[in-house]
Amino acid sequence: MHTHPDDYIKPELMACCGAREITDGNIVIVGTGFPTMSANIAKYTNAPNATLMQESGVYDARPVRPALSVGDPCLNPGAAMIGGLVDVMGMFLQSGWVDVGFLSGSQVDKFGNINTTVIGDYEKPTSRLPGSGGANPIGSLAKKILIIALHDKRRLSERVDFITTPGYIDGPGSREKRGLPAGTGPGVIITNKAVLRFDDDTKEAYLATYHPDSSVDEVVSLTPWDLKVSDDVHETEPPREEELRVVREILDPFGMIKIYEGRGYV
Amino acid sequence: MSKVMPMKEAVQRYVIDGDFLFIGGYICRTPFAAVHEIIRQKKRDLTITRSNAADDFDMMIGAGVVKRFIGTFLSLGLYGLGRCYRRSIEKEIPHKIELEEYTNLSLPMMLMAGSMGMPFVPVKDMAGSDLLNVKSFMGEDKYKVIDSPFDGSPTVLVPALNPDVAIIHVQQADEMGNAQIWGIGGDCKVGANAAKKVIVSCERIVSREVIGKDPSRTIVPDFKVAAVVEEPFGAHPGYTPGFYDVDFSFGSLYQQASNTVEGFEEFLNEWVFDVEDRTAYVGHYIERFGYPTFKNLEAAFDFGYPVSYAY
Repeated sequence: MHTHPDDYIKPELMACCGAREITDGNIVIVGTGFPTMSANIAKYTNAPNATLMQESGVYDARPVRPALSVGDPCLNPGAAMIGGLVDVMGMFLQSGWVDVGFLSGSQVDKFGNINTTVIGDYEKPTSRLPGSGGANPIGSLAKKILIIALHDKRRLSERVDFITTPGYIDGPGSREKRGLPAGTGPGVIITNKAVLRFDDDTKEAYLATYHPDSSVDEVVSLTPWDLKVSDDVHETEPPREEELRVVREILDPFGMIKIYEGRGYV
Repeated sequence: MSKVMPMKEAVQRYVIDGDFLFIGGYICRTPFAAVHEIIRQKKRDLTITRSNAADDFDMMIGAGVVKRFIGTFLSLGLYGLGRCYRRSIEKEIPHKIELEEYTNLSLPMMLMAGSMGMPFVPVKDMAGSDLLNVKSFMGEDKYKVIDSPFDGSPTVLVPALNPDVAIIHVQQADEMGNAQIWGIGGDCKVGANAAKKVIVSCERIVSREVIGKDPSRTIVPDFKVAAVVEEPFGAHPGYTPGFYDVDFSFGSLYQQASNTVEGFEEFLNEWVFDVEDRTAYVGHYIERFGYPTFKNLEAAFDFGYPVSYAY
């Protein structure tokens, strides 16, 4: 049995939720923050043979501190291979080798579509966001997408203002019809309140587990669509002692993950 | 004949108002010395491109030298959204740039196609997204969707890009322009080779003999290169592997300054217009923050691992 210390913070719990989605031997494409943390927790626990890559051109980096961006200098020394975008996004991702991709979004909808382009009208936006970067190709081409999002009625929506990265678009069959590869798409939305998964038939996100300080009612009330609840809905397993040890002693000894609390992940 | 010249001359001679520029870098090896010189010379109506643009593109947009941006992404990384970029798009300050948006797969592939003389290239991304529902100055030529002539499946085609000039910053180059990098490549190699001519900015100029010690590191051959500029610390506040680290404090300084138009203009005056060249910039940096701060950015020394091409 696992022991579960109760002094964890929410970003640590979310990182652990991500780690548990990774299977041993997976090839994972990561960005920064939670994604890197999740993938590395998995490497030290349930998936020792998982390998990571960054879109900037790095495969199997061995950074001695958490990378602050996908171009971080700490990704260079010790990596197994360094090339460029065409290598990682073309030769590895587009060619179908990547099992898992992590994405986050300013806006995520019930079909797992992600918006990182504009809030409001495209031509006259209220807020101009960074754009796709690697998100669209990762979301289009990795076999399983893990989405990280804040759980409120602004960040989650019935329909995103702009589909930067397609989830299940309009529902069942949409990806296939547009020519996206079979067997790809969002697998889970990990929020600061819950873990949502996608219904095989409707392709809509439903509540799978709620975090220890939340509840079914709270999650439903914070979700802007008519959120379906799984028949076996239960509490999310808190971080295990071993997972927390990996985060705090190996991956992030300076506690940089705490900055995510300041960004609303509480 | 040597192609070595100062950045001022390289930009005067090879960057023309209205040109289409590829500007390489990925936090790693950002050609900031060249970017500052372009702003200092008040170039106009440039079209700029690269995947994952950052503070250098934000600064050029804020400085008003950019008319069009073929991009995928622009942010200040740790420091959030690009302030000048937002002001341009949301408030038309100093003017609204025209924006054509792709992704970090499709744009490098378009440059790759350009580098190989291919007219266009199929890509498997963007399908089903709103990126296919917005078109700007490239109009109907932004992309095409066809039924694949091989299996009939819907296929997105994107056009090749051939910039007028590519500007890259590398670790070392010889006087003729054979340019070598190590570490994160971004889209530098395809971007440089897609361009009609290349300006190579480098940490150090080395002999042709040194280039020949490890020729697999060369990403651009000399025949594509118009100018070679030796600019130590030339990627600051970005980094160059083996030479210096990212300057996170300076990144924060830029973010703070660019929060307002006034702050941004003061920043430009201090770090671009009031310094004559990169040497003066480094001098000002040391004067402002002290030599220990400067020295602290220097990379740890590592003997590396020699490779042998012997047979």
